[in-house]
Amino acid sequence: MTGADLALLLTVLTGLALRALGLALGGAVRPDHPLIAWAAAVSVATLAAFVALAVAAPTGLLATIPLPARLAGLAAGAITFAATRGAILPALLAGLAGLGFARLITG
Amino acid sequence: MPPPFLTAARDALGAPAFAMGATFLAFGAAVAEAGLSLPWAVLCTATVYGMAGQLVLLGLAATPGAAVAPAVIAATAANARFLPMAVALAPLLGRSRARWLALPFIAITPWAAAMRRLPALPDADRRTWFLGFALASWSAAILATALGHALAPHLPPAVRAALLFANPLYFALLLAADLGRPGVRGAVIGGVLAAPLAIPLGSAWGLLAAGLIGGTLAFALQRR
Repeated sequence: MTGADLALLLTVLTGLALRALGLALGGAVRPDHPLIAWAAAVSVATLAAFVALAVAAPTGLLATIPLPARLAGLAAGAITFAATRGAILPALLAGLAGLGFARLITG
Repeated sequence: MPPPFLTAARDALGAPAFAMGATFLAFGAAVAEAGLSLPWAVLCTATVYGMAGQLVLLGLAATPGAAVAPAVIAATAANARFLPMAVALAPLLGRSRARWLALPFIAITPWAAAMRRLPALPDADRRTWFLGFALASWSAAILATALGHALAPHLPPAVRAALLFANPLYFALLLAADLGRPGVRGAVIGGVLAAPLAIPLGSAWGLLAAGLIGGTLAFALQRR
């Protein structure tokens, strides 16, 4: 077993443990317990922070997309989303097209 | 097979599968680029099943001779959202033992879909709906990973970067669609405002900190 295999195995186990702990905790309290609302708020905030960072300050391969192209992709998605009253797939495709188009212009 | 399972599987194979497919395709290609095997890529998607942690793991563990413990700790921190997500989802999955079947599939995409759809379904249909959605999106993710690994030599970095962008774009749209749900608007604002805190901490720990701080503040303000 290589280091990468061992790291994968251990990450799988910690991920399953986090999910199991969450299911056990969430199943042990009343559905209207503040813990449930707090956990939902933290999950949504994490997702929102993930999106904000991916657009404004990405790392890795995403960082190779220039900021104007990332913003163009987000704007094209948002405009299509508003124009179609919340249709996600067309907005997603338009966002990726907007990003590609902006990259062609900005290089 | 009960209808909720099929309805959910069909739902999953639209925008969710497209967004996940694009991201996991990029992940499969990145694994091939790093010199790791197809089974490693597919196993990683099928069992870690959380893109933030997978990318951190790949980045830290793929270099030969890399230390295992820091890679595992950082990947776990990057996927720490599994814990609050599972807590929030648990009441919707009911109290029977069968809810544990959902365990390996608790990840952003099925979670976000479940939080929107399950409250409107009868209790009896909720677990079946979740499993239908989860199995369809999980299968799509695995297929896309394998395809990405095979296609790696034909995917230039600019294309892979664009595919990776599908993921944040999809979540931005999901959040926009959910702004009307109770508690969501405050938590979105909290998360965005706390995001700069993540920059000095690095991607794995920073996301965890931003989510905890932004979400807790939003929660506290909403309860006042």
